[in-house]
Amino acid sequence: MLQPLRETCRRLLQDGTVQVVIGYGQAVRAVEPYPVFITAPDDVGQLVWNEQCRTNLVKYLLRKEIRALGKPAIVVKGCDERALVVLQQELQIDRSQIVVIGVACDGMDEPRCEVCDAHQPRFADHIIGHATNEMQPAERRYAHLGEFLERPLPDRMAYWKAELERCVKCYACRQACPLCYCERCIVEKNRPACLDTSATLKGNFAWHIVRAFHLAGRCVGCDQCSRVCPEGIDLRLLNLSMAREAEASFGHRSGTDPQAELVLGSFSQQDQEQFIR
Amino acid sequence: MSQIISKPAIRRLVELWLRQGKRVIAPVQVRPNLVSYQPVRGPDQVLLEGFVRPLNSIKQVVFPRHEQLFQYRVRGKQIDLLPAPLPDIERIVLAARPCDAAALPILDHVFNWEFRDAAYNRRRELTTVVTLACTEYDAHCFCTSVGSRPDDTRGSDALLLDLGDGTLEVRHTTDKGQSLFAGQTQASTRTAPISPGPERRADLRRVSQSLEQAFERSEWAAWTNRCLGCGACAFGCPTCHCFDMVDEGGPTCGARVRNWDACQFGQFTLHASGHNPRGVQSQRQRQRIYHKFHVYPKKFGELLCTGCGNCTRNCPVSLGVLPVLEAMQAEGA
Repeated sequence: MLQPLRETCRRLLQDGTVQVVIGYGQAVRAVEPYPVFITAPDDVGQLVWNEQCRTNLVKYLLRKEIRALGKPAIVVKGCDERALVVLQQELQIDRSQIVVIGVACDGMDEPRCEVCDAHQPRFADHIIGHATNEMQPAERRYAHLGEFLERPLPDRMAYWKAELERCVKCYACRQACPLCYCERCIVEKNRPACLDTSATLKGNFAWHIVRAFHLAGRCVGCDQCSRVCPEGIDLRLLNLSMAREAEASFGHRSGTDPQAELVLGSFSQQDQEQFIR
Repeated sequence: MSQIISKPAIRRLVELWLRQGKRVIAPVQVRPNLVSYQPVRGPDQVLLEGFVRPLNSIKQVVFPRHEQLFQYRVRGKQIDLLPAPLPDIERIVLAARPCDAAALPILDHVFNWEFRDAAYNRRRELTTVVTLACTEYDAHCFCTSVGSRPDDTRGSDALLLDLGDGTLEVRHTTDKGQSLFAGQTQASTRTAPISPGPERRADLRRVSQSLEQAFERSEWAAWTNRCLGCGACAFGCPTCHCFDMVDEGGPTCGARVRNWDACQFGQFTLHASGHNPRGVQSQRQRQRIYHKFHVYPKKFGELLCTGCGNCTRNCPVSLGVLPVLEAMQAEGA
């Protein structure tokens, strides 16, 4: 897998198709692979691919420091790729100016991998390796949430209080999220302030609820927020709950169909709700 | 002669301290693979072995992530300011890592520099720090590269060292530590072996020399451009101490509060005019390295880093201080 990946990247850099490859590098086995930005064909040897490549690199397509490096090729997994689909639908990227290298993935030992139905990339320009996509019934995809919701309400409230009590508002969840791209996040608005910036229980509830709502019908379930949270808060639960709602009410699974209409980004004269007309 | 105490005896002490109304903060296993310093409710929660280091730091005990400075009340033309009462609960930090405790005397400089911070100093007086010497390390530990070691006693009132048979050697370094364990330890002839600590990975003399000239180097972007701009490094760091002050509340009542802030946030240096002197991430990363290894040492004679490695451990993309220093060294900076 690694050789064809490196060769594809070398070719793209050599013939000038792209100026930078956004991929994974790794110094030692004990430290997870990290994002690297390869600009010279001879540096493709720095690229790695293994079952620890958990970062969703799509976020870097939006960062100005990386945009400044020129036209990119990006290495994605089948799950990461869903974020690309949404960014394209939301007009945040020009897909024709990005070369997508999809790598077949057998799982990264993350909770979401157990119910993955996107081992094989579907929308990439180059696909490395082969994996089989098995359909996963909705009950299985939302099983983690289902189990949680079986607990009595006071239990669930106590759980969130204990979890969000630890949140220090480092905003790693937001910074790692490929779909959190507001130029000025609502917590940064201070004229006037919209939300408490304090990492108190009140401020933390406000932050995570607002973020979940802003991602409703958009979150692709890449679980970067949960992966990067230094306090180990299972934000996946919030996102699954929004995703299940979008799927149940609108039949929408974010990032799986480039032609699909957006749940919150579309409008119809025929909408059955009065308030929207 | 050394002094020793059994682990059950330590737990009985925790029970006693809690009964006396003291707050006990210790490493707690929040879930598998997640150890965090938390206030404990009972003695069994305290971890005395089997972890490298908690993901957060003990700075929260003296410098909380959120604190009220005063409340305000507006009635007509009358404005009342009600100062927040000073803290008064005694705190005992138990089984802290030496790289956490060593940060406290470093923080003392900045909180007593031109302005003596009353709340910080009060919390400092109310806090007794008992450290637990390290016996295991991970790929992110680098205390030995910044002049520290697994049994560093800076900032600790007493140091515990594991004797490997359910007992700990106790070494007092201050009167506070002495009185905390008075009458609780037994004399012994045994002393704990000291671990050499993690391998040295950065040459500090070289780092400080190269920082004299590295400010304008073009490689800063290459060394740091994977940074996503969150505050996980700063908030998990025992020495990072930047804060923001905001008013929370409405036009008639509310509070002025102090919250942790982080230099990697894009808004950290954003001016009201819209200008941002650190407009790109590499400038913010450069700032972080300069503050820790150049500015602070010049001003206060100490590094603003204890080598705990939390910046890299908590980083979504495994950046942090050491990888940047290593990248600099690799390119001859």
